[in-house]
Amino acid sequence: MPDINLTIDGKPVTVPAGTLIVEAAKTVGIEIPVFCYHHKLDPVGACRLCLVDFSPGPPRPQTACTTPVAEGMVVRTQSAMAVQARADILEFELANHPLDCPVCDKGGECPLQDFTFRHGYPTSRIDGPRLHFKKPIPLSEKIALDRERCVLCYRCTRYYDEIAWEQELTTDQRGVRSFITSQFDQPLQSIFSGNIIDLCPVGALTSRVWRFESRPWDMTHSETICSRCSVGCNVTQWQRRGQLVRVTSRENDDIDEGWICDRGRFEYTDVNDPARVRAPLIAGRKSTWADAVNAIAAGIQRKGAKLGISLPQDITNEEAYLFRRLLDGPLKGAKVKMHGRTAIPAPAGETMRIKEIDDARVIVVVASDIENDVPIIDLRVKKAVSKRGARLIVVNPESVDLDRHPETVHIRHAKGAAAAEVRKLASHDLLKNAGGPVAILFGDGHGSEDMSELASACGALAAQVGGKEMPLYRATNERGALAAGVAGWDSLDGVQAILSWGPPPAAGLPRSAKFIAAWDHLPRTAYETAVVLPATTFAERQGSYTNVEGTVQFLRPPIAIQPPLKEGWEVLCELGAALGLTLDYPGIFPIQRELAGKVPALAKVAQPPSPEPEPPLVLVGPAHP
Amino acid sequence: MLDEIKELPAKYPQPRSAVMPALDLAQEELGHLTPEAMSEVASALDLDPGYVEGVATFYSLFHHRPIGKHRFYVCTNLSCMLRGAGEIVDHLKQQIGVSSSEQVSPDGLFSFEEVECLGACEYAPMMRLDHRFHYDLSPEKIDTLIADRKRLLPTGGEVSAKPTEGQAPPVKKPRAPRKKKDA
Amino acid sequence: MAPADITNEVKTSGLRGRGGAGFATGIKWSFIKRDAPGPKYVVVNADESEPGTAKDRYILENSPHMVVEGILIAAYAVGANQAWVYIRGEYDEPYRMLTEAIEEARAKGYIGPKPMGKDYPLDIRLYRGHGAYICGEETALLESLEGKRAQPRSRPPFPAVKGAWGRPTLLNNVETLATVPAIINMGGAAYAKLGTDKSPGTRLLTVSGNVRKPGVYEVEFGKTFRHVIMDLAGGPPEGRKVKVFWPGGSSAPVLPESMLDVTTDAEALAAARSMAGSGGVIVMDDTHCVVKAAHRLLQFYAYESCGKCTPCRIGQDWAVRTYERILANEGSQIELDTLQRVSDGLQNGRCLCGLGDSGGWVIDSTLRHFREEYEDHALRHECNVGKVMANA
Repeated sequence: MPDINLTIDGKPVTVPAGTLIVEAAKTVGIEIPVFCYHHKLDPVGACRLCLVDFSPGPPRPQTACTTPVAEGMVVRTQSAMAVQARADILEFELANHPLDCPVCDKGGECPLQDFTFRHGYPTSRIDGPRLHFKKPIPLSEKIALDRERCVLCYRCTRYYDEIAWEQELTTDQRGVRSFITSQFDQPLQSIFSGNIIDLCPVGALTSRVWRFESRPWDMTHSETICSRCSVGCNVTQWQRRGQLVRVTSRENDDIDEGWICDRGRFEYTDVNDPARVRAPLIAGRKSTWADAVNAIAAGIQRKGAKLGISLPQDITNEEAYLFRRLLDGPLKGAKVKMHGRTAIPAPAGETMRIKEIDDARVIVVVASDIENDVPIIDLRVKKAVSKRGARLIVVNPESVDLDRHPETVHIRHAKGAAAAEVRKLASHDLLKNAGGPVAILFGDGHGSEDMSELASACGALAAQVGGKEMPLYRATNERGALAAGVAGWDSLDGVQAILSWGPPPAAGLPRSAKFIAAWDHLPRTAYETAVVLPATTFAERQGSYTNVEGTVQFLRPPIAIQPPLKEGWEVLCELGAALGLTLDYPGIFPIQRELAGKVPALAKVAQPPSPEPEPPLVLVGPAHP
Repeated sequence: MLDEIKELPAKYPQPRSAVMPALDLAQEELGHLTPEAMSEVASALDLDPGYVEGVATFYSLFHHRPIGKHRFYVCTNLSCMLRGAGEIVDHLKQQIGVSSSEQVSPDGLFSFEEVECLGACEYAPMMRLDHRFHYDLSPEKIDTLIADRKRLLPTGGEVSAKPTEGQAPPVKKPRAPRKKKDA
Repeated sequence: MAPADITNEVKTSGLRGRGGAGFATGIKWSFIKRDAPGPKYVVVNADESEPGTAKDRYILENSPHMVVEGILIAAYAVGANQAWVYIRGEYDEPYRMLTEAIEEARAKGYIGPKPMGKDYPLDIRLYRGHGAYICGEETALLESLEGKRAQPRSRPPFPAVKGAWGRPTLLNNVETLATVPAIINMGGAAYAKLGTDKSPGTRLLTVSGNVRKPGVYEVEFGKTFRHVIMDLAGGPPEGRKVKVFWPGGSSAPVLPESMLDVTTDAEALAAARSMAGSGGVIVMDDTHCVVKAAHRLLQFYAYESCGKCTPCRIGQDWAVRTYERILANEGSQIELDTLQRVSDGLQNGRCLCGLGDSGGWVIDSTLRHFREEYEDHALRHECNVGKVMANA
């Protein structure tokens, strides 16, 4: 794209052709306030708050959010005409706004507040009655809607339509009586619903999980990684007084583009569970770390194949590496089962990157309901289809949400026959002349497919049509565990002792186990006679994950570990010592350096986490027109 | 009705255009649109119910609560207001025994609605009733229209197609002669 | 005639859109790239719903064939094979008449796979509206035609590039297209001799309100409103005087009786700070109150606001509530200031489409010409009109 030169408020700006004025202004730190505009949604020019004036152009204010830059354009955001236009729009927005900021969860991080301070009239000229709606209305278990606060920017409904391909959120009626509603007042079902809370520029859509908990300035936050699945969405976790009170999205265009799913957003309350295990327990009694670790060592050593080790889906790379060392040493021969993993074999090398889906002309999704398996990749596929015109082929025995697109080609087959279908695909009309990159995403059909068959069929298809494959591992750190060689797939039936790292497997601990050791953060009935070590949660732990595409990302826990809790790697080092294996690391970095050297696929672990992202430029507009 | 609806999408360049004709059919059959009806239309057209709800509540000709068998759509916009639409509405309300557009007369026959300009301002005050316009309204004409419909009730027959007095618009220069349907 | 010649003839005629905005028709036609691949559409705006306007209904009921002919000419000129007529849902009789006319044209072979033997397939289909004034706005109409909530689109892209179902689309008003056959028959130059230099031709004016002979009149541009209202429509009823008139539908700023000698052409009306609009001439006599009339119109704009853009959604409703306070004798200078402020906030490019401006113009123009009546109501809590309307 050729670059365009223009000036905004006298500042020279050079941006690629096609850039909207509102985006061009950001590059030089000039704030043009917006409600309806959002850089991930198609511009609509509805709220009219971004009015500026420019020449050459009509002698009227124009919306900066719908106007692309032009060579030699002179944009004025501070002319009397533009300043008054925006102040008038804000005054209109406030004419019916309830001004219940003191009890509004958005207060303190509310664009309507901020813009009113920076771009509005200094005093209120509004008197008289305001419109009233019943408030607040639950849109779902998780989300509340306050229609009085709503400024009808339609970000939420547009997001639902454009990004999530759903219409369960809609606008009813018209004119001043129009309001946002879920369809026929039924609770929202989408797994992507929570993003509308982040999108809402006022306090109309708020979280019911995090309600009346805290002002934003009373929290600290940390830029970290979601632990719920293998996508590794970047999130911000907010803590107050040692409690995790909120999870919000954090844009990383390579991975999540600013969206997270409701699992990542709302499933965190166990972190704050008052019943959390806070001290080591032996058969229900508090004990010291040393006693507990020794008891475990005594219970699991020299068991060989009679020992079962259950690993969680969100084991960190570092813990996985320490387990590797234990399994090579004192725990040699133990059976290992990583829970939540797929049957997909370890990748032979680099696989397709998530962002490469954007440029695909044809996308093939095999044996995976990606909406549930890797939700945010589902949104990426939808974007490639609806915004970039990619064609979509779904190979699945069941219906999936990608079928919502009228042009989706859905190939249904009997369970277990996915590989056979994939082998036929090379001659499919869409793939014969794909006209560009082809993306082949494949899952494991939740166990229904023969994975070596399917993986080789997908590999063959990729070679035939010039595509790239993306194996859809599901478990948070499945790739890291595979690389470290601990992503076991053994049956734990019949073991005599079990070491359960993390919560017990969904199917329960094997009944045959006489000795149970667990590293867990919540008490369970199965732990009556067990040795339980208090575990950290994803909100406290250090370490890194390797996501579905192989990117290593580091956790930055928002909550400091409260003694006697210890880091997982520390616990494993102590356990190693009790088992006679010296695992002497002064911190997590030496583990990472060693691991990077030993496991080439995880070499990136040695690269220290990038510094926290810089806070956005503070944008200060005029006090008043 | 659902079969008929399922055939609609093919008639348009994109299937979504069928949503309003489909809602028309549903409303024609049911009198008004219930959430159930909208959901059925949605599934027949392969759309989300929420989408259909959004469209159906935008347009004023879709009704979401029961209406009378005969609904008087009386224009009260400026041209009609200047020629006494207010008195017409008052008289009508009294005659059919309702006080708001949300009510239906006790016999289920009548309801009314004050509507915006219907595009027959030269015949003000005017209204739309049973898919035709009625011009130069007066309280007496309202009475006749009501009586005609009450009279037809027992047989269940439709309203006579023969124009009642006053419906044929006075011919004004430079209007061409009115084309007869049966000509 | 070659398609380009047809477009040129229309350009020569100086014909301007009769829907309200008055854009030069020939130029609009030339925006469509005739040779571009893929379907193109002609969409006819028969969603006449501007208060005080009944001309399109009149044409559709009385001369539907003229409209069909105009559509065929336009479609051929811009390279469209499919025309859609978006007709307002309340127009039952016009719908029947137009359907019949299209069927007749089909039977005669004027439309179909080979109209008049030419290898140029052409079809006309109807789409009924369902009650929304906003559909008169061309992009809202397109949204509605696509089965969506009728909320105007932000432009660009213009319909000529991306219109109905994403395809290049020509949108014209019924009266505009009904005028085209005459232009082709008599020649653009001959048509241009009618009317004034800049507003050539004739147009249909709907005269309604307090006149003795309300009706639809075809009038050459350049005649005075005095001629239209007093001569053609017979003036106000016995013993009354014209107080104010809307020269081009309710959206056109009002003109007081003293401006009856303004002429009907766009230029004269612009000079009088009004506009030709849709040609709906609403006449109000001295037995009616301007404030109440303005209140009624703002109710209309508030009810018909689609709700997409902020100023229109909030502003129209705010104005209505302010009028209510004034008419309930609760007004003061504050309410008068509020009205002016809301009016300013609705105009001058603040809104996404013209509906917002229209409400602003009603407030602005009535305040400008009838400030005293407003002050009577707001400050002195009285109405200076002898007869108080029962239905206000």
